[in-house]
Amino acid sequence: MDLNLTEQQIMLQSTIRELRERDFTKEALVAIDAGDEPLSAHWPGLVSTGILGSLIPEEYGGVGASLADTAVIYEELGRGPVPGPHFSSGIFAALILIEGGSEEQKQVLLPAIASGERVFAVAITEENYGWGPQFTNTLARARGTDLIIEGTKLYVHDATAATDLIVATRLENGTTALLHIDAHGGGVASRSLPGFATGLCEVSLLQVLVPRSAQIGATEDGWAVLDRVIQKASLILSAYQVGGLSEVFDMSLLYSQTRRQFQQPIGRFQRVQDHVIDVINYLDAARWTTYEALWKADESRDGAIAAMHTAATVSSESYYYGCNSAHDVHAGIGIVREYGLTLHTKMSRTLYHYLGSPRYHRKRLAQALGL
Amino acid sequence: MDFDLEWTPAQLAFQSEVRTWLADHVPELPDHADPADLTADEYALQRKLGRELGRKGWLYPAMPSEYGGGGLDLGMSMIIEEELDRYHLATPPYYDTGGRLGSASIMVWGSDEQKTYFLPKILTGEIRTWQLLSEPESGSDLASVSTSAVRDGEDYLVSGTKIFVGSNHGAEYSWMIVKTDPKGDRHKNLSWFMMPMDLPGITVEPMDLLLVGGERGAASGVKNTVYFDNVRVPAFNLVGGENNGWEVAGTHLEIEHGLLRSAVRADEMLERVMADARATTRGGRPLTEDPDVQDALVDFYVNSQVTRLLHFRNFAYRAHGRQLTYEGSQAYLHQKRSALSKARAILEIMGPRALVSDPEWALADGHIEVHQRASIVEQHPGGTAEIQRVIIARRLGIGREQREEPGQLPSTKKQGQ
Repeated sequence: MDLNLTEQQIMLQSTIRELRERDFTKEALVAIDAGDEPLSAHWPGLVSTGILGSLIPEEYGGVGASLADTAVIYEELGRGPVPGPHFSSGIFAALILIEGGSEEQKQVLLPAIASGERVFAVAITEENYGWGPQFTNTLARARGTDLIIEGTKLYVHDATAATDLIVATRLENGTTALLHIDAHGGGVASRSLPGFATGLCEVSLLQVLVPRSAQIGATEDGWAVLDRVIQKASLILSAYQVGGLSEVFDMSLLYSQTRRQFQQPIGRFQRVQDHVIDVINYLDAARWTTYEALWKADESRDGAIAAMHTAATVSSESYYYGCNSAHDVHAGIGIVREYGLTLHTKMSRTLYHYLGSPRYHRKRLAQALGL
Repeated sequence: MDFDLEWTPAQLAFQSEVRTWLADHVPELPDHADPADLTADEYALQRKLGRELGRKGWLYPAMPSEYGGGGLDLGMSMIIEEELDRYHLATPPYYDTGGRLGSASIMVWGSDEQKTYFLPKILTGEIRTWQLLSEPESGSDLASVSTSAVRDGEDYLVSGTKIFVGSNHGAEYSWMIVKTDPKGDRHKNLSWFMMPMDLPGITVEPMDLLLVGGERGAASGVKNTVYFDNVRVPAFNLVGGENNGWEVAGTHLEIEHGLLRSAVRADEMLERVMADARATTRGGRPLTEDPDVQDALVDFYVNSQVTRLLHFRNFAYRAHGRQLTYEGSQAYLHQKRSALSKARAILEIMGPRALVSDPEWALADGHIEVHQRASIVEQHPGGTAEIQRVIIARRLGIGREQREEPGQLPSTKKQGQ
């Protein structure tokens, strides 16, 4: 029993922290969010840290790190919150290829993801929104040895920044196929969706022609692959949410000490204190359910699946409600965009449904508990 | 990070030694849903077991052996706690705040003579001790107590009333805070006494309460009002110096604010409710197939995991010698608040049957009905939810440049030291 980070994890954390404090200052993040500064200007620095290959085995050009080590990186990125396709590509797409890809797909694609040469986005959900095979209506019909894809994918994270896409489609036999396509190929069009969300896109697929070899995991249903992938990826997402909420707590605590009203720091008022305490209570609940679930997953312990669904539920809800409490602390200043709190508020909403909402994870948890 | 309680070969050997010993020494005791049902004979058996544990240093295993404790590290202590837990017992196997709280204050603040006199009695189970803190006019504002002690030669004369005291079946000693300087500044006007309960002028009267809970085998069952009418107590029994009582209390309050709970204990109520829901059919279908019941059970489960993990974190930090600040109160606050939401979930799932103690209809031998009451009773001991929030705020430094320092604790051995 030892709940401290390892020395190696502490080094990793400080490397990412240095990068974040240099390349992703609050001013830069606010400018990126407003569209005043392109993310691409900051991307090479992020890629150079090697984080995109964290989960990718060494034989495919990655680091082969554990989920817990990778979570250290993502907790630090979440503090920004640092946006961009690092999760879509380095975590989500990489895990799909690791779990379901053919040897050739792994050899060609994984090193390119690790080096940043290719950037993947993963297009799963649609207008009929949900995380499950029954929500996939985009069809992939056979035409000779090829497949023709037709449909619209929605709420796809980071599609406009991607060179490659993995698309969930329905085959004529009713099963789900995960297809690898060129993001800039014929019939593929991506656009960002404006609104109170970060990085969400629409991807329209009009008569997109791909060879059958584009299918990832041809020997099993695509959702079987996705289920395994989500079990791991959602842990990294939870760590990112924990990082986000850590920053939200630090902002709230500092504000309670420095903001004066009625001739005293506002944190002297117990009503304000309660909101700050709520933030740390949400934070620590998310932190420890996530850490235990990471440990159980890395060590293949009993109850790893239940722990993962617990962590996903608690982290998504905690980030969401924790931001609400932080707004209670900050009142008007909190909604000033340059202050930076709204970056987190927006991210907490954006991630609430990603890889399954708390309601989805609760249902899966009930199954895992044998209810 | 490693959440495993990996026992070393030495610890595993110790575990089997404890297991064997307990199998030979733990008497047959019923698991009362309401601890008030503990009989005098059963209590006598618990005290006997306590003294036997005390002789081996297993009653208070983490306390120093020179004073009758076990001198064991937190891991070994946890093994004893785990093994007793199998019998629905704890260390100690009866209510005693002398060892759980008072002994820490004596360790930190007592003179050598006081340590030598009081600690072995407490730590070997020779005496049991109640705590006397609250008064009719002093609850959350504990420092406002008005029970007084006036110096008279080599003694003090104590007068006043304490409430929410102790348990059933009496005690040999109490520890208490009293006012020794009526004109003194707040927090600098109190003193801390070890008080023999057989002194003339002490009257004990049971209170009529919704329920009195506690930790399994250490549950108290009954709370009393204790009246002091000019009770003469030797000055030797004042621990930590006159008017220094608030500092002395800071030590045991620190422990009471969230450091008491065992890090390993499974959530018995969760297991009971899950088992009951699986075994029940309603309208011809298993209760667990009802989506509303599933939601309620999952909420219960998630809450229970968070409480467990916050206590586990605190235990692991302490085992590594890391000082806790806000964490004890945070875990305690979560435990208190989730007790209420669990009780509501149980009522939702079980219906009115959760409220019935009738032997024919009660669930889980009455444990479910008792839990409905216990969840409310659990809100105030060791400081209300609001007091925990005040402590968290001060320790985090919300609205303050200077963070409040925790109360001083006796040093604990690190794992494997």
